[in-house]
Amino acid sequence: MSDPADISPAGHISGAPGRIEPSEPGELPTPPMRLQFGPSHPATHGTVRIMLELEGEKILNADVQVGYLHRGFEKECESGYYYQNIPYTDRLNYSSPILCNIGYCMAVEKLAGIAITERCRYVRVIAGELSRIADHLLCIGASCLELAAMTPFLYLLEARELVWDLLDALCGSRVTTNYIRIGGVAADLPDGFADFCRRKLDGAMKLLHDAEKLLTGNPIFRERMEGTGTLSAAELIAYGVTGPVLRAAGVPLDLRRVEPYLVYDRLDFDVPVGEHGDNFDRYLVRVEEIRQSRRMALQCLDQIQPGPVDVDDPRFRWPGKNRVFNRMEELIDQFMLVVEENGLMPAGEAYFAIEGGNGEFGFYLVSDGTGKPYKCRVRGPSLCNMHPLARMIIGRQLADIIPTFDMINMIGGECDR
Amino acid sequence: MAVQVKKVLRPPPQITSWRSGLAIIAGLWVTTRHLIANLFGFIRGRQDFTVYYPEQRFLHAPALRGMPVLVQMENGRERCVACGLCEWACPTSCICIFPAETDSEVERYPEIFDIDMTRCMFCGLCEEACPEEAIVMSRQIEISTYSRGGSLWHKEDLLVPESRLRTRIDFLRSQYGR
Amino acid sequence: MEDRNDSPPDREPAPPLMEKVLAALGELVIEYHRERGDDRIHVARENIAAAAQILRDSPGLSFDMLIDVTAIDYCGQPDGFRFQAPIMDQNRPIARRVSHSRHRVAMPERGPLPRFAVVYHLLSTALIHRLRIKCRVPEEDPAIPTVTGIWPGANWLERETYDLYGIRFSGHPDLRRIFLYDEFVGHPLRKDYGKQEEQPIQEYVGPGGHLPRRPYIGRTGQD
Repeated sequence: MSDPADISPAGHISGAPGRIEPSEPGELPTPPMRLQFGPSHPATHGTVRIMLELEGEKILNADVQVGYLHRGFEKECESGYYYQNIPYTDRLNYSSPILCNIGYCMAVEKLAGIAITERCRYVRVIAGELSRIADHLLCIGASCLELAAMTPFLYLLEARELVWDLLDALCGSRVTTNYIRIGGVAADLPDGFADFCRRKLDGAMKLLHDAEKLLTGNPIFRERMEGTGTLSAAELIAYGVTGPVLRAAGVPLDLRRVEPYLVYDRLDFDVPVGEHGDNFDRYLVRVEEIRQSRRMALQCLDQIQPGPVDVDDPRFRWPGKNRVFNRMEELIDQFMLVVEENGLMPAGEAYFAIEGGNGEFGFYLVSDGTGKPYKCRVRGPSLCNMHPLARMIIGRQLADIIPTFDMINMIGGECDR
Repeated sequence: MAVQVKKVLRPPPQITSWRSGLAIIAGLWVTTRHLIANLFGFIRGRQDFTVYYPEQRFLHAPALRGMPVLVQMENGRERCVACGLCEWACPTSCICIFPAETDSEVERYPEIFDIDMTRCMFCGLCEEACPEEAIVMSRQIEISTYSRGGSLWHKEDLLVPESRLRTRIDFLRSQYGR
Repeated sequence: MEDRNDSPPDREPAPPLMEKVLAALGELVIEYHRERGDDRIHVARENIAAAAQILRDSPGLSFDMLIDVTAIDYCGQPDGFRFQAPIMDQNRPIARRVSHSRHRVAMPERGPLPRFAVVYHLLSTALIHRLRIKCRVPEEDPAIPTVTGIWPGANWLERETYDLYGIRFSGHPDLRRIFLYDEFVGHPLRKDYGKQEEQPIQEYVGPGGHLPRRPYIGRTGQD
């Protein structure tokens, strides 16, 4: 594939099916079989409908239709204050909600020009990497389940429970975390969190190791993953695919490496890349990323220094409650910040992207100078990653859809918004 | 600090070799180990990972955000002064307050304080906005009802004595200095 | 960090990436800004395909990845929003059971400029730099040439923009709604589409719609 412009998109399946000319002389031509895969198929973790045209088990044409989870996130954001949209971002990528929180809050901070404190940067990296571990564990575990391997699914979900215990202690909630705030975080690390974190992560890594032993060498698993869903790096880039799917094709595009934000430039970590670009490489990259995320979280726990987690900026960050209760100025600040009628955000626009669980997770915010965003655009990685799914499966077998779809790891919340 | 690009190691293809049988035996060893640990782990005091829910409960961290409740002071009155900040901060508009005046020194109190629990998403912004420590997230998370009307919680249902909210209030006070 | 929309572009020293972009595009750039660390150029809508081709193929730029396509309903206002939009409604009723009024989005005042702006975000995966392109599109004829031939990933993103803003991408191979159903009336992210607006469920007309369907019989119970 020399020129990406040559790639033709998969067509819209409508009208009467065509006909397949017989391969043997003397047989009659048959129309291809239409099969509707989804919207809620038991072997996919995500609501997506794929219209297929099949000749036997071979896929002739595919039409991927997303949008079953469209909730009007962007419209909703336009009518809420900046701080009110943070809980909604939990619902974008619900398997790594803290990363969505971080992306949104950092975009708002870029818009407002806030420089957050050192400790806050570390806390965000710790929380974000824990969330990424949970995301990848779910992705691999759900893929095993859909390839009919129940045991590693149970091990990996148990490992995710251990990570969720950490998030529960940190955020007060396992899934709908609502942890990051504009200019800070909701709560500081609890006492003894470092030891708790090491203990729980060790348990999770043991379980991951067991699951890996079951999967990586298993001939059935490899048979289904190797060589399926392959797409070259040039094509993936042309489709705008990011994250583990692109890295499995050998492109080391990780925003933590190429555009370091927070404290990623002070950490020691590897960016795993594959070389074949097939589903097995995607699986291996995800497993390795879990290890690297654990490494980063532990390094942050070693490097973190005591200090304030919230920026002391009465224009944007709600003041600490001990000052609200005891001092008049901060009480007034609190009222002004909650009731942002006067509009504290400078007019303008900003785009900020972080490395989410599935790729570049960007927020494009436009402010008109009031307390509400004029436009809040989410660049979720899943939408761009789902687009080449049709190209990955056309010409392949019907059963290849499952591992390909699983390793793309479409999350309906961020794909359909 | 060094960020390196590392190529993932791919085990050699082994579909038809004797190694695939070895991999299956290794996998069986892993599952057998887990089976034995689960069967006889109770001898060494190992707990089941699964929580048998209605009989056993999760041990939640102090940071747990349950449903929002109103703090009841020792004299039986609510601490809320009906300033309306929680109502304003709520992203889902699930709080509804009608203020009224009183003769005591706080001067204002909520005559009606309703929370629509079908809309509430336990985000905790009301608690963060409150300037009086009057609405806090309790540890109560089991709030299902048999009718839709039961999800509209009125002031008298929401009032909880301060002594029963100690864990959350202590957690909140530990975060005040931030 | 401050908004530099007010300063004329020629007085501002152009950053290195912007110099390369300006040298490559030449007359195609209407204006350019650097705001909060993001580079942004404005291009006339009929030139977008030519500009995209140059940006992808120039060796010093090589914007090989299209990150995002979206649109903004500016209601004819300039990008910098020098007005204070009267979005908050002051007459908020005090007594009500469920407060919806705070969430109302009012239509800002109309300005003289073209109403919409289509926004493209580009990334170069080899050289790691980003660029934002804006094209103003008028309300009467909301159409813009597609860039699907340059970045095939634009296909779904343009469909999404068409779905939510009603901007037609001429030359697009498969322009239909992506998130909403085909029978949906209007484009919900436009500012004149109210947030609380409701639409009745439309009759399904897609493949298989002619088949007889059993009516849904709900459970009848109290409450």
